[in-house]
Amino acid sequence: MKSRKHLVRWLAAAVLLAAGVEANAEPYLAAQMGFKCAMCHVNPTGGGMRNVYGNSFAQTVLAQKKIGADEDLWTGQVMKFLSVGGNARANFNYQDVPNQDSTNDFEVEEARAYLDFGVIPNRLSVYIDQRFAPGNSTNMEANVRYWFKEGEYYVKAGRMYLPFGYRLEDDNAFVRQSSGINMQAPDEGVEFGLERGSWTAQLAFSNGAGGGAELDNGKQVVTRAEFVKPKWRAGASLLYNDTDLGARSGAGLFGGYALGPVTLLGEVDYFDDDTIGDGTKLVSTLAEADWKIHQGHNLKFTYEWLDPDDDVDENEQLRYSLLYEWSPIQFVQLRAGVRVYDGIPQNDNQNRKQAFIQLHGFF
Amino acid sequence: MPSSRTNFLAVKGIFLAPAFVLLAACTAGNGEGLDANGQPIPITPPANSDFQEIQDTVFTPICTQCHIGANAPQGLRLDAANSYAMLVNVASNEVGSLLRVNPGNPDQSYIVQKIQGSAAVGGRMPLGQAQLPQDRIDLIRSWIAAGAPAPTAAASSNKLTVTSSIPAAGEIAAPGLVKLTVIFAGNVDAALVGNTFELRDGFDQPVALARVQVPSGRPNVVEITAAQALPAGSYQLVVRGQGPVALADEAGHVLDGDADGTAGGDFLMSFDVSAGASR
Repeated sequence: MKSRKHLVRWLAAAVLLAAGVEANAEPYLAAQMGFKCAMCHVNPTGGGMRNVYGNSFAQTVLAQKKIGADEDLWTGQVMKFLSVGGNARANFNYQDVPNQDSTNDFEVEEARAYLDFGVIPNRLSVYIDQRFAPGNSTNMEANVRYWFKEGEYYVKAGRMYLPFGYRLEDDNAFVRQSSGINMQAPDEGVEFGLERGSWTAQLAFSNGAGGGAELDNGKQVVTRAEFVKPKWRAGASLLYNDTDLGARSGAGLFGGYALGPVTLLGEVDYFDDDTIGDGTKLVSTLAEADWKIHQGHNLKFTYEWLDPDDDVDENEQLRYSLLYEWSPIQFVQLRAGVRVYDGIPQNDNQNRKQAFIQLHGFF
Repeated sequence: MPSSRTNFLAVKGIFLAPAFVLLAACTAGNGEGLDANGQPIPITPPANSDFQEIQDTVFTPICTQCHIGANAPQGLRLDAANSYAMLVNVASNEVGSLLRVNPGNPDQSYIVQKIQGSAAVGGRMPLGQAQLPQDRIDLIRSWIAAGAPAPTAAASSNKLTVTSSIPAAGEIAAPGLVKLTVIFAGNVDAALVGNTFELRDGFDQPVALARVQVPSGRPNVVEITAAQALPAGSYQLVVRGQGPVALADEAGHVLDGDADGTAGGDFLMSFDVSAGASR
């Protein structure tokens, strides 16, 4: 028992020393900390289940305060070869679309459980991400991951989220919507990864059918590389999808910079998509600023711009978001925010306003 | 004397500040000369039908923010060129026992369940947006209840053309495929369909057909039903636009099967049936 307490205290101290400030499961926190995604997540490309470090971090650094005994530190490991995790988001939403009655509703945005079977510790894992709400149980990720050479390289095969740009929590961000790569659209394939020094890089081959049934013999290739330093990071993504409908190619640049309590993120993506109409060239951008007001308190501002068809003038769209995120205790987050869309005046949906309050529980 | 760290931050700031200013300088379009879907206003007005209205007010302005192109979620493309063929009588990818649109039966149509928020899988559509106004949901329900008739093309053309097919050209269809569907940009002369459709296997041998018909209430659609489930292999559907009997629309305009802009020419559509397990 004594040795376990020592281990827990050592772990907490290590996290505090490494962190200095706070962290969560979003890219801005990785940028704020100078971390790679793999620092806190089982998945080297981020999102989903947190590893031992990520769980410890959430308790000892992220929250405004930790309640409970110091030695009761949740690591996610429920037995030697099995780790579990989860996310649940319950919302109250308000929507205002011009020329329509405003609406509001309570919504379970998502409830997910993660399982990671580390059948050969630090080598071979079987990972499952199962969504239980909304709707019935649905598998979102199911893959096998094998690490080579002391964790420098890995290969992952199965159903997975593909690597492209920042893995944002907000699936409706223009950059995630335009890429078609987000937390709602897993694909099936194989991914090779590198985690070495300041570099994190991935190369994935997948069906490229948006999670639907594969309808042709063409495949999608996606690659992402990021150079991570303590105060800044920069990366690039490339995508090519060969289908019977035509080819879809894309490229993106992204970066982040930590300026004291403020963290800046940016991403610019460009797609040339022959599978839409007679061919469409699309540009989407994200600029995000996160201000850590105090431990456990974050104010997020995002500014997004979308040109859905470069050949058509005056069709661009904007999206602004202002969110407050409060983590009063470990594994609990209260989020409230507004999102304002600004598009062409003749499309009501492109000029809607949204507000939400969210209770986010995770472990 | 500034430190090297200060210099480093200053250099970063020089690069970052203009980047954010550039981003902030981007503005929304004023929509001048565009329709509600952000496309140039068409010279001729679109055909007037329930489906066209659904396309113009729901699918194109809202759903195609995601459901478009090769990476459309669940492979469901809802742009004007593909929506009808990918919805009507097509099995849902998430709940394979339900059709996305089950003509005549809105409650058993997966699209209705998705927009009403009662689907067995996933969130209500449109995801992360305001729910569709009730009058739009009612319009979709009534269109399905009426048999999900296809949009009809403006009658200005002097030829009949193919809009889309199920399976699509080049598609690898799941095992068990029995029925093929071809959608035309005009109402087909039902008296001609029995002699103008032919299905051939990979050895160029004719495949026995149980029936070829224009379904009730969908005059621009032809359904081709094989005598039995198609075995794994390659196939080619032939629709005659030339020869002794050529397919034509109700006004007698002959099929432009080879898509050369003039009436005449056979329509050829190749596809495969996979041997793997159905998904």
